[in-house]
Amino acid sequence: MKYVVKLRNVRKSFGKTQALRSVSFDVYEGEIFGLIGPNGAGKTTTLRIISTLVRHDEGYVNVLGYELPKYKDYVRGKIAYLPEDARLYGRLTGWENLLYFAMIYSKDKEEAIRMAKLGAEISGLSPTDLHRKTSEYSKGMARRVAVARALMTKAPLVILDEPTTGLDVFSSYNIRKIIKKYAKELKVTIILSSHNILEIQYLCDRIALIDKGKILAVGTPEEILEQAKASNLEEAFIKLVGDSYE
Amino acid sequence: MSKLYPIIWKELRDMIRDVRTLILIASLPLIVMPLMSISSIYMQQLQVSRVLIIDEDCSHAYIPFLGNISTKDIAMNISYLLKINGFEPKIIEENIKAEYGEYDLLVKIPRGFMKNLTSFTLKAYVVIEKVVGSPRADIAETVINYVLSDLSRKISKAKVTYLATLAKIKVAPESILEPLSIITTIVKPTGTPASPEEEFRIRLARLMAFSLIFVTTPSIAYINDSIVGEKERKTIEALLATPVPRYSLIIGKVFTASIVGLIAGLSDALSLILFFVIPSIFYGFNILSYLTPSLIAIHVVAVYLSIFTSLAIITPIIIRSGSYRASHVASLTVVSLASIVFFMALYVDIDKLIHIARYALYVIPYTHAVLMIKNAVLGTITNVFIHALIITAISLALLLLAIKLFSDERIIYSKT
Repeated sequence: MKYVVKLRNVRKSFGKTQALRSVSFDVYEGEIFGLIGPNGAGKTTTLRIISTLVRHDEGYVNVLGYELPKYKDYVRGKIAYLPEDARLYGRLTGWENLLYFAMIYSKDKEEAIRMAKLGAEISGLSPTDLHRKTSEYSKGMARRVAVARALMTKAPLVILDEPTTGLDVFSSYNIRKIIKKYAKELKVTIILSSHNILEIQYLCDRIALIDKGKILAVGTPEEILEQAKASNLEEAFIKLVGDSYE
Repeated sequence: MSKLYPIIWKELRDMIRDVRTLILIASLPLIVMPLMSISSIYMQQLQVSRVLIIDEDCSHAYIPFLGNISTKDIAMNISYLLKINGFEPKIIEENIKAEYGEYDLLVKIPRGFMKNLTSFTLKAYVVIEKVVGSPRADIAETVINYVLSDLSRKISKAKVTYLATLAKIKVAPESILEPLSIITTIVKPTGTPASPEEEFRIRLARLMAFSLIFVTTPSIAYINDSIVGEKERKTIEALLATPVPRYSLIIGKVFTASIVGLIAGLSDALSLILFFVIPSIFYGFNILSYLTPSLIAIHVVAVYLSIFTSLAIITPIIIRSGSYRASHVASLTVVSLASIVFFMALYVDIDKLIHIARYALYVIPYTHAVLMIKNAVLGTITNVFIHALIITAISLALLLLAIKLFSDERIIYSKT
């Protein structure tokens, strides 16, 4: 299988805090890959390194065949990143938020409009809602536009950092549906991070468990269950991660 | 499609939809400057300015070659001119002075005044009692000095003519009273004669340079919000992971912030016109004739370049600091620096400073904005272009520095 992301022994410190100790995993083309771990485990730092925003201190990072940080400009043209708790531009409408990013990723205005229309379709919002300013949106509506903004680019790699954090049950459900449907339809590779075991189980083809900057397990849910000798992912998660909290 | 276009597209939309801020930026100078002008004229008029004139002498005399003159006439002349200048003069007697309460200025024609005035061995004097710290008292004193100086000249001339007649010699009184006079001609730095209008215009240029103080703040506030504010509103991280080159991001944001500055600049230029037009209507002369279209145009360009250079100075600092607090402090520093240079323009001829001081000031971009206006007034257009180029070059160099210093990690992880 062709890999899209390859990390080997990646380390990163911020001052005295070692955020990543030795992170290694691969993400393959076309899969939805989940990164799960407790708060402060290093999920966001890992995703920021893959997104080219943060430079790793040691190790090897390859995204879509380009080594980072050397080829970060090439990588940026081929990824879409939705940070944790990312917001939209409040004075712009939902449509304009989509069009703004579409223009950045497109060669010309026609392509940008096509891309923004796809974004509108992915978001599932009505035309009326799309032409309202996003400052008037609920959290769920705003997140739908934000996720759509990432997916509409059809970038080979889409990175979503906790896409459903802070949302109610219905909004989270809608976001998961969008990700599941359009990942396959648009044939993109997705890396997403989450705290929600059920979400990971529903969405992801393969998972990596991370804690205190180290990868504890990588594989399909079944492989991880076998490794942790657990009956469900939550139990596997607690078994592999929970010892350090006792 | 250039990656710069979407940045400018979004920033302009954002700016246009912040209607309240735009209205405030455009209207503030248009309200403040005319109010300053009106208040300085009308508030003075509304001020009660009382002058008491006491004639203790109450006498009259005949002066050869002048005619009859009385202390009452002198008091009446002083009173008349003071009234024209908006004062409330009152001719009273000494013993009822206390009844009139507060006054700004008191003029006393003492006993023996007329005897001394007509004497060839004694000197007459008038006593002026002025209340300390009263600007209106200073103006009243000037008016009274004018009346009495005129009277003094006439009496001197009459006395000299009389003595010359007695001595049977031919005399021109001016050659005795003012044997030395000074002839002043005004020239430009090139040596060619300058008209009084041009001299006035140069004074005007200093005030125009000073007015640049008011234009730097709005655009600095905008760029602060555009970079640090985006981080606080959690919109910048997603943008940084896109293919937008950092130079496009910075240029796009600075360009839009400079548009905000241009709006402020145009408003400032218009308010400046109002600032001068209002008193010119009041005092009955056409000041607009001194504000030529080319001078206004160059002023607007100087305004824009001052704003652009402010943005260029502040952007690298904002990028490195990443927090609102630090960038606000930096903004204050930049505005203070600009204010020092623009204030200095009121009193100092920068080109005439000693080398060290002059070159030190040349390093500050705002100096060139001031010199642009000054050279525009003097008509040395080549120098206007040179200073415009220098300030532009410094600004572009600073923007290049900002691009070089840009760090995604620093922006994301800096504390707000």
